[in-house]
Amino acid sequence: MKPAAPLLVLLPALVLVPVLLLLPGLLHGGGWDLIGRFLLAALQPSLDPVVLQSLLQGLAITAGMALLGWACSLLIGVVLGLASSRLLWRTLIGHALPAELIRRLLAIPRSIHELIWGLLLLQVVGLQPAIAVVAIAIPYGALVARVVSDLLDALPERNLDALLSAGSPAPAALLTALGPPLMPGLISYGGYRLECALRSATLLGVFGLGGLGNELLLTLQSLEFNELWSGLWLLLAVMLALEALIGGLRRRWGMPSRFGLTRTGVGRRGREIVLALVLLIPLVAGVGKALAIDPAALLQWQPLPPVAPDGWAEALALPWLQLAFNTVLLTLLAAALAVGVAPLLLLLVAPWPWGQRLLQLVWAIGRLWPPPLTALLLLFVLKPGVITAALALGFHNLGILGRLLLEGAQAAGSERQQALQGAGAGPRLALLYGRFSGLARSYLAYGAYRADVILRETVVVGLVAGTGLGSQLNESLSSFAFDQLALLLAVYALLTLLGEDLSDRARHRLLQQ
Amino acid sequence: MAVLELQEISVPGREQPRLERVSLRIEAGERVALLGPSGAGKSTLLAVANGLLQPQSGRVLWNDAPRARSERARRRQQARIGTLWQDLRLIEELSVQQNLNSGCLARWGWPRAVLNLLLPLDSEACAQALRRVDLSPELLDQPVAELSGGQRQRVAIARLLRQEPLLLLADEPLASLDPRLARELLQLLLEQASAPRALLLSLHRPDLLAGFDRVIGVRQGRVQFDEPAAAVDSAAIQALYAGTAAAASP
Repeated sequence: MKPAAPLLVLLPALVLVPVLLLLPGLLHGGGWDLIGRFLLAALQPSLDPVVLQSLLQGLAITAGMALLGWACSLLIGVVLGLASSRLLWRTLIGHALPAELIRRLLAIPRSIHELIWGLLLLQVVGLQPAIAVVAIAIPYGALVARVVSDLLDALPERNLDALLSAGSPAPAALLTALGPPLMPGLISYGGYRLECALRSATLLGVFGLGGLGNELLLTLQSLEFNELWSGLWLLLAVMLALEALIGGLRRRWGMPSRFGLTRTGVGRRGREIVLALVLLIPLVAGVGKALAIDPAALLQWQPLPPVAPDGWAEALALPWLQLAFNTVLLTLLAAALAVGVAPLLLLLVAPWPWGQRLLQLVWAIGRLWPPPLTALLLLFVLKPGVITAALALGFHNLGILGRLLLEGAQAAGSERQQALQGAGAGPRLALLYGRFSGLARSYLAYGAYRADVILRETVVVGLVAGTGLGSQLNESLSSFAFDQLALLLAVYALLTLLGEDLSDRARHRLLQQ
Repeated sequence: MAVLELQEISVPGREQPRLERVSLRIEAGERVALLGPSGAGKSTLLAVANGLLQPQSGRVLWNDAPRARSERARRRQQARIGTLWQDLRLIEELSVQQNLNSGCLARWGWPRAVLNLLLPLDSEACAQALRRVDLSPELLDQPVAELSGGQRQRVAIARLLRQEPLLLLADEPLASLDPRLARELLQLLLEQASAPRALLLSLHRPDLLAGFDRVIGVRQGRVQFDEPAAAVDSAAIQALYAGTAAAASP
């Protein structure tokens, strides 16, 4: 008995059974009126000019930080990506040892979430606008580097060999043979990273690094829901505009879409792309000036407080197994919720044309709404713990996966679905049999990748909902226990690297079958 | 009883109408070929006949009943119309048996449809459907993606049999097949269309008309002739294709 492709997509939704069974026990009944007020306020955002001005200012700072962090990460990522390409080193010096070494080293900055980088930097150099930029640039740079080197090493080497055997010098041959085919994948991925950067910058703001996130947190804590929704709707407008712009450029330039990561695009309108890249330079410089970014200030480190004499013994005595177990459980719950619920909801609304639009709106809010704020909202009515944290994290990732699923479903073509409906099948069964069949494997492969991202993100809700390594990290940070912090980071890095390896294997298995 | 009746159907097009005041009637047990050059309106006529396209004016009746109003009744009506698509529209990721059963989704509720994805149902009925299209029941467990082109055509017809429609529609099902396979497949389709069933099949090759009861010639969105197959002579076909590339071939 092996479930067929369309069922595979729905299997993760089985996690709803235990979650719904346990949920009544988690209710504490306190803040239903607050949740009600919060939901009602969505229709009555505050239009007070003072509020709007401060929100707009926050939004500008967040967008600026996102842009700068993203631009830096692209630069870092391309340089390090070239440096960790096996093909490049083999062509230049004959063996790939340096590439392997750099690859392994890059795993460390990649495995640590931008929020942790931000909080660490905050301790070391004090609050300044550049922190958020650097915090985004470090893990993003390492992620882009991995994608660049993977793309490079997956390119066919025939063209390169042809140029080399014709006597062309190695650097010129590399540039000519590998540059053009690398660009479409890189630009497509880069655009996606900009969307991520906007979300990350908002999140960093929630933890005090400036911008709109901070305003959102303050309005939520002071229960000014109308002002909160003004900020949310503004952010939603900017995010949807950015997504539309990036999607439009991707289509216009003939770049591959994100779904079905194996497809490659061809690339068109090279001049426009170069022009856009050139225009980015003054834009980035201008934004940097406006945000008063001062790279030199990053070098003025503050002395760290001394470590307590028996600190290491105390650090080792932490309940490590439980912390790690809760982190993994949180990851699995959140991932299963996000992966499974997206297709389930699509099936539920299939008969109604407006249902899909409503879902798109809810998903968009899920994407941009930072998970710690969802956790705070949930805490109005639920007790803290793994399930509360998983719901918050799951909702955020549902927004991302749901959008991808819908894009994939639209790209997959409607012929089969139409044929089934023509034979009298209902809209839900036609969607299940006709569309989910073809999508299942690539969607689940993306889900496996997303689970890996979720593992990194557990720290974000752990800080608020009091579970897993994230909550311990918060305590250690605020008590300046840098020995505990070092161990925590090491465990986190180890877990994420393990998770990355598992998710890679799962992905390959899914895409090969 | 007419399995399908079109009354004065018109479908507008960009330059000229895709269909203009087309009327026809197909009785149970009839095997009708729809003949005409490409662009004549054959595909549009079939899309109207299977309910995918609603005409701008005119009436379509299935078993003497117009298009049902309610969603549920509409689906029941749709279940009696079976279409053999040119690209077959099999679900590559599912097994042959699951594909055959996908023809039953109109009759099945949620539970059976989901169960079929877990452990394929109705093995005996599926095996019988495969035998009727000269395929071995051993193929039931195979993924459709692993079948040969000829086997896929037959599985698509077997899926139609599982659907148990009254009206069989096929839009140029023989277009991309070699001559031997085309003849075999046509024979198979003609065999399935005994009363109470009826067959309407569009063709662009006049040499395959043997076995049909009636031929309807379409040109520029209008019915040019509607005659018993024996009465259609080469002059009528010449006139149908006059001025098009196919006119040169017999």
